[in-house]
Amino acid sequence: MLNIQDLKVSYDGALILAGVDLDLLRGDSLAIIGESGAGKTTLGLALMGLGEGRVSGRVLLDGKDLTTLDEVARRRIRGKEMAMVFQNVEDALNPIMTVSDQIKEAIDVHRERGDPGYVGDRVRRLFRAVGLDEAKGRSFPHQLSGGEKQRALIAMALANDPQVLILDEPTASLDAVTKAEITRLLRERMENKIALVITHDISTAARLTDKMAVLYAGRIVELGDTQDLLGSPRHPYTRGLIRSSPNMTTPKDLQGIPGRMIHGVSGCPFSDRCTQRIEICSEAVPPLVEAGGRLIACHRGGIVPLLELSRVVTRFGGLAAVDGVDLTLYEGETIALVGESGSGKTTLAKTVIGLFDLAEGEMRLEGEPLVRRDRDFYRKVQMIYQNPKESISHRMTVLDAVTEPLLIQKVGGAAERIEIAKRVLEEVELSTDEAFLKRYPHQISGGEAQRVAIARALVLNPKLLIADEPTSALDPSVQAKILKLLLDIQEKRGLAILFITHDIALARKVSDRLAVMLKGKIVEEGSAGGVTTAPIHPYTMRLLEVAPDLDPKGRGMSGPWAVPEGPTIRAREF
Amino acid sequence: MHVDVWHEVGERNVGRAGLLLIGLIVLLAIFAPVLTPYSPRENTSTQAFSRPSTDHWLGTNDARQDIWTQLLYGARTSLSVGFGVALLSGFISVLVGGTAAIFGGLYDRFWMRIVDATIAIPDVVVIILVAAYLRPNVLLMILLLSALSWPGGARVIRAQTLTLKERMHVSAARTFGAGWSHLLFRHIVPDLAPVLVAIMIQDARRAVFMEAGLSFLGISDPSVMSWGKMMQYARVFTYLEVWKWWLLPTGLALSSTLIGLSFTGYALESALDPRLRDRDDHAEGGV
Repeated sequence: MLNIQDLKVSYDGALILAGVDLDLLRGDSLAIIGESGAGKTTLGLALMGLGEGRVSGRVLLDGKDLTTLDEVARRRIRGKEMAMVFQNVEDALNPIMTVSDQIKEAIDVHRERGDPGYVGDRVRRLFRAVGLDEAKGRSFPHQLSGGEKQRALIAMALANDPQVLILDEPTASLDAVTKAEITRLLRERMENKIALVITHDISTAARLTDKMAVLYAGRIVELGDTQDLLGSPRHPYTRGLIRSSPNMTTPKDLQGIPGRMIHGVSGCPFSDRCTQRIEICSEAVPPLVEAGGRLIACHRGGIVPLLELSRVVTRFGGLAAVDGVDLTLYEGETIALVGESGSGKTTLAKTVIGLFDLAEGEMRLEGEPLVRRDRDFYRKVQMIYQNPKESISHRMTVLDAVTEPLLIQKVGGAAERIEIAKRVLEEVELSTDEAFLKRYPHQISGGEAQRVAIARALVLNPKLLIADEPTSALDPSVQAKILKLLLDIQEKRGLAILFITHDIALARKVSDRLAVMLKGKIVEEGSAGGVTTAPIHPYTMRLLEVAPDLDPKGRGMSGPWAVPEGPTIRAREF
Repeated sequence: MHVDVWHEVGERNVGRAGLLLIGLIVLLAIFAPVLTPYSPRENTSTQAFSRPSTDHWLGTNDARQDIWTQLLYGARTSLSVGFGVALLSGFISVLVGGTAAIFGGLYDRFWMRIVDATIAIPDVVVIILVAAYLRPNVLLMILLLSALSWPGGARVIRAQTLTLKERMHVSAARTFGAGWSHLLFRHIVPDLAPVLVAIMIQDARRAVFMEAGLSFLGISDPSVMSWGKMMQYARVFTYLEVWKWWLLPTGLALSSTLIGLSFTGYALESALDPRLRDRDDHAEGGV
């Protein structure tokens, strides 16, 4: 059993680990993930007693505090009860000793009397266990490939069958195929041990471990079951990490995290990069508390729900165009509403923004029920429309259009408004020279007009952007640029986007979650990857069948499912 | 739609003639003091009923007043009433029709019933009765005529606003938190402008006509110089030769003003309504 209590490490007065608590039992495997500099390796070294900085707190192995032991006693434990596979494969082996000699040495240092027969036997078994040819044992490290060296290192760590195994970036410099083999090997060898996998590679972590801790600036910000945590990250930093790592599960484009990690930020360590921070975040360090089967350190209890819809109904006359929709949109995420025209997507959007009246149900924004839409509401929620040129008055110049919301909201004086408008125009990558500011909608291209419309929506710094088919009137190349822009803005501002489109192929590239609408109801909702690869509702399957693909026979997206026989499902009965 | 309505009005002969007539009369009214040495009520030293001469271009009337001067100052009254009513009545039309369309519901129904009721009342009778009682001066005349002429315009403005408010840029402005006044005056009125001007010209034409009529009947403020009043006085002396330079020029001035307004209004309406356009080669393809 390994208990880590308030472990702190500082180098030259800088706190690299700022108090880590962990309790691990035999058979547990825990991944420590985070960006470089988060303190992952420092944690591993501190546990091994190899760290250079000043260490405080306690590391209890089966109840015995390791931090108080002297170097001789530490050495007896190191390599025998606790072993570490180091990060850099090239440097970790001694270049002038054969591999098997090095493994022998690892066994010998922990034995009082030499018994060459036993040692030789053990080495052979270790070679077999890590899948390395025994003949390779006579080679020097430079004669081995990267994968073989990694295997040798693992054999060395396993030499004395330690109770605790610490793996620091075990697959960092390996190619994909070798990585998969090493991962499988480690998974086998980690059974019945306490395994700590330190990595920035989320997919390796996902394959190797059952539990996962996210480390940021020396603190654990989120800890939970690996699958659960990766499937629905609750801390904004965790979500950022997942979004920025390429994988086959999330189809959305990669997005980074704004800013860079700085140690010693007052209050929550992530507060300066967080897009949902409030006042308290820069004042007090949030404690790691349990919430919904997971530990999370966030003053706001993790990513906050921004918009909550429950049983929303919108009626035109007797017809319910939106018929009982439940949907929750979290801060900084994109939900794509997909469905053919007439399914009620736009009606739902216009009900949210207040252009249509809500007939039944409830809408909440930031937890508050939405009853009246006053000026403050429109500071938080904005919308962009399908046809940018129509959404801008043909009597308004670019500058008039972008400053109009500020004028309505009575923000600043005329000079200040122009200043803000120019800044936002730069953010959407438009020119801010006088000639462009004086142009009218019919004098600019469709792509430029949509950028102006986006700038106009962003000028009030909203938290939620409703995008109603924002690119369907544009050329593909312009569409791609506008979508990239929206994703960049989301990354920078933590903007939540309700993205309305009939194009499921487009939706999966821009959204975290996908909701399929049919006849005013949401018939399927889930992660964008899940819905597009394993649809449940026949209408979703149908949408995927007809989605654009590049296969001339139209088999691009034909998955393992079969569309049920029967009449075609349509949004409207003709 | 990027059809330049004013350009079209100028292109038409009817429109050009109308604008020319109105322009001419406006100039005469503005420069009245320059164009005559007398004041309209001044009793000149010339003999009454004298024929036109270099001193008195249209001769003098029974009270030795200069008829040309009276004609010029009469134009001022007619045009003031016309413009005043056009502006006030147009403004009320926009306010009532526009807000009724924007707010809808009970508010809309309330104002539209008021409009129906007002249109149903025969306004000439009401005006004659009220005027006979009040003896209105120019300002009161404007108020009185406006009070009865706005409902027709309000109905047209409401119908136009109902379509305009569905335009995307108006919806967009609403989602910035804009109130009704911003929507109406920044987004809807600019698009309404040509229709509004057509309504205002109609109002002006009716107002000029009504003012002349009331003066002719002698139930407006007696101190106001007016064409209607001139015609009323001149009518008494039709047995003399004086009608040729007293009654006739006044009647022509009034007719020209009315024709000018009618022609402009007609040209504007046909430019606005594609069905009335006899050729559509000016229409540029809108984006």
